[in-house]
Amino acid sequence: MKTVAFRKEVQEQLEKIQRADIVVGIPSFNNARTIGHVVRAVQAGLAKYFPDRKSVLINSDGGSTDNTLEVVRNTSIENYDSILLHHRVEPLFKIATPYSGLPGKGSAFRTIFEMAGALDAKACVVVDSDLRSITPEWIELLVKPVLDDGFDYVAPLYHRHKYDGTITNSIVYPLTRSLYGKRIRQPIGGDFGFSGKLAKFYLTKDVWQTDVARFGIDIWMTTTAIANQFNVTQSFLGAKIHDAKDPGSDLSAMLYQVVGATFELMETYHDVWKPIRGSEPVTAFGFEYSVGLEQVNVNTGKMLKLFQEGLKNLRELWVAVLGNSDFREVERLGTLGDREFQFPLALWTRVIYDYAIAFHNKKLPIEHLIKSLTPLYLGKTASFILEVEQMGQEEAEAAIEKLCQEFEINKEYLTASWK
Amino acid sequence: MTDFLDLILEPLQEVFHAIRQFLPNLLAMLVILIIGILVARVLRAILVRFLTAIKFDSWSDRMGVTTLMRKSDLWAKPSLALGAILYWIMIIIALAMGMSALKIQAVDNLVSQFFMYLPRAFSAIMILLVGYMLTGFVSRAVLIAAVNSGYHYAKLLAEAIRLLLTVLVLAMVLEQLQVAPGIVLAAFSIIFGGIVLALAISFGVGGIDAAKRMIERETGEKRTEEPKDDVEHI
Repeated sequence: MKTVAFRKEVQEQLEKIQRADIVVGIPSFNNARTIGHVVRAVQAGLAKYFPDRKSVLINSDGGSTDNTLEVVRNTSIENYDSILLHHRVEPLFKIATPYSGLPGKGSAFRTIFEMAGALDAKACVVVDSDLRSITPEWIELLVKPVLDDGFDYVAPLYHRHKYDGTITNSIVYPLTRSLYGKRIRQPIGGDFGFSGKLAKFYLTKDVWQTDVARFGIDIWMTTTAIANQFNVTQSFLGAKIHDAKDPGSDLSAMLYQVVGATFELMETYHDVWKPIRGSEPVTAFGFEYSVGLEQVNVNTGKMLKLFQEGLKNLRELWVAVLGNSDFREVERLGTLGDREFQFPLALWTRVIYDYAIAFHNKKLPIEHLIKSLTPLYLGKTASFILEVEQMGQEEAEAAIEKLCQEFEINKEYLTASWK
Repeated sequence: MTDFLDLILEPLQEVFHAIRQFLPNLLAMLVILIIGILVARVLRAILVRFLTAIKFDSWSDRMGVTTLMRKSDLWAKPSLALGAILYWIMIIIALAMGMSALKIQAVDNLVSQFFMYLPRAFSAIMILLVGYMLTGFVSRAVLIAAVNSGYHYAKLLAEAIRLLLTVLVLAMVLEQLQVAPGIVLAAFSIIFGGIVLALAISFGVGGIDAAKRMIERETGEKRTEEPKDDVEHI
C-alpha cells in the first residue's frame, strides 16, 4: 500500500517527536475564523485530563488561503492558571501541514492516520475545525474509553434540535443500525476517537482514490470499525454547534454524498450485514444532560411542494426503483393535504431498501438514482416535523426509535431482494 | 444434314461450356457461404460470452438501451441481440464475398459499392447508439436537477432538451449515411432554429410579467418573505 510522503520539515518534526501517546487531528480548509477556538479547547483538554501523556496536535489542511495554518501555529493558551489546578508535565507538540491526495476530508484524515502510525500513537481523536461548542471535556470523553477501557472506536453522541440531522435520523442511523446490529446514534458525527491499532487498520484499506477520500470518510470510519469487529462505544459530548453551513449548499448533493457512501459500503460488507438480525445497544460514556437549543425555523410547505413536484415529474423513475405497489402508496400520499400529511414508517423503510437494491443492481447512473430520492426525503422530513411539532426532545427520539425498529423488522425484504 | 445438326449442337455446346466454366465459381460461392455461416456462428458465441462476462446486459439496463429495445418490441437480452446483429452482418459479408466468386461484372460492382458503404453505416449506427444514450442521460440529469430545484416545468424542460438532442443526433446520422445531405442540412437548420426561436419567444413573451416583477423588486418595492427554513439536514 502506497503511503503518503511527508514534507521534509514534517518528517523532521516526526523524527524529533519519535513517539506519542495521543494524537489529535484537525482537518481544515479556510477555517481561520474558528480553528483557534478548537485548538485552544484541545490544548486545554490535553493539559487538564492527560497532563502526563505525550500528545501531538496535527492540523491537516487542504490548501487554505486565509492563513488557517498560521492561526494553528500561533494559537496557544497564555495562562493555564485560569483553567488548570495542575500544570501539564509533558509538552504538547503541534504539526500544521497541507495534505496531499484528492481534495476532501478523507485525504486530510489519511495524513493524520499516517502520522499517528509513524508516532505509534495509542489513542487518536479527530475533531472538526469549525466547532463552536467544543470544550476541553470532549478530549477526555473521546480519548479515555480508548486509553483506559480498551475500546477501539468512540463515536460522538450529541444533543441536537429535534429538527436537525434529519438525514442521520431518517436514513443513516436506522439503516446502519439494522444492517450492522449496533446502535451508534451518530454514525456520521464528524468527531471521533479511535485507537492507534484502528488507525493502522484504516491505512490498509485501498480507498484513498475513491469518494471516501472526498466526502465519505465519516460513515466509512464508523462502518469499517463495526464491520471488522472492533470494540465500539459512544460518548456524550453535549451540543454540536458549528459554523452555519452555506445556505446555498445543495441538499441533493449532500444526500448523494452521504447515502451514496452508505450504499457503497453495503456492497463491500454484504457478507457481514446479511445474516445480522436486530440490534444491540452500545455503551455510552459521559453524563447526559439537557441542552438548551436555539429555535429552528422550518418550512414544511416548501418541502411538501417539492415532494409533489417529484411525484408529478419523476413518476417513471420512481416506478422503476420502487415498483408499482410501493409507488401507488407514495402516489396516495400526494392526495393528502399539508396538515394531514404523514409518511408511513413501513413505506419509508421500503423506499430506502428499494433504493439500496436499485443501487446494487445498477438500475441507473448512481448520481441520478440517489438525487431522485430528494423529493421523497423531503416528504419524509416534512412528515416527521409535523409529527413531532408538539413533542419534546425525548418523545421525538422515541419516534425515531420506532422508525429504527421498522427498519429492523423489514430487513428480510432487503436480504431477500439482494442477489 | 451435318450443318443442321451443327446449328442445333453449337449453342448447346456453348451453354454446356459456359455452365462448365461457371460451376467451379458456383461451388466456390457455396463453400465460401458455408464457411461464412460457420465463422458467423463461432463469432456470435464468442461475442455473447464476452458480453456476458463484462455484464453488458446490466450496463444496457442502466443506460436505457434495454428500454429502447422493449419499446421497439425487441424482447431479447441486449447481449443476444448484439450477437444476432454480428451473426447476420457476417452472413451478409460471406454472401457478398461468395457472390464476388461468381465473377459476374455487375455483381462485382454491387459488392464493391456495398463494402465501401459499410464503414459509413457502422459509424452511423455508433452515432445513433451513443447519441441515444447521451440524450437519455442529459435529459434525465436536467429533469432531476430541475425537480430538486423546485422548478414547476421540470418535465417540459427535460423533454425539450431531449427533443433538441434527438434532432441533432438524427441529423448527424443522416449526414453520415449521405442521405440527401443538402436536404438534411436545410431541414435540421429549420427545425433546430425553429425550436430555439419558439423557446426564446415563449420565454420572452411569457416572462414579461416575471421580468417586470423582478425589476419592480429591484427598485424598492417590498414583497412578503417566504417563511425561513433553518433545518440542518446533516
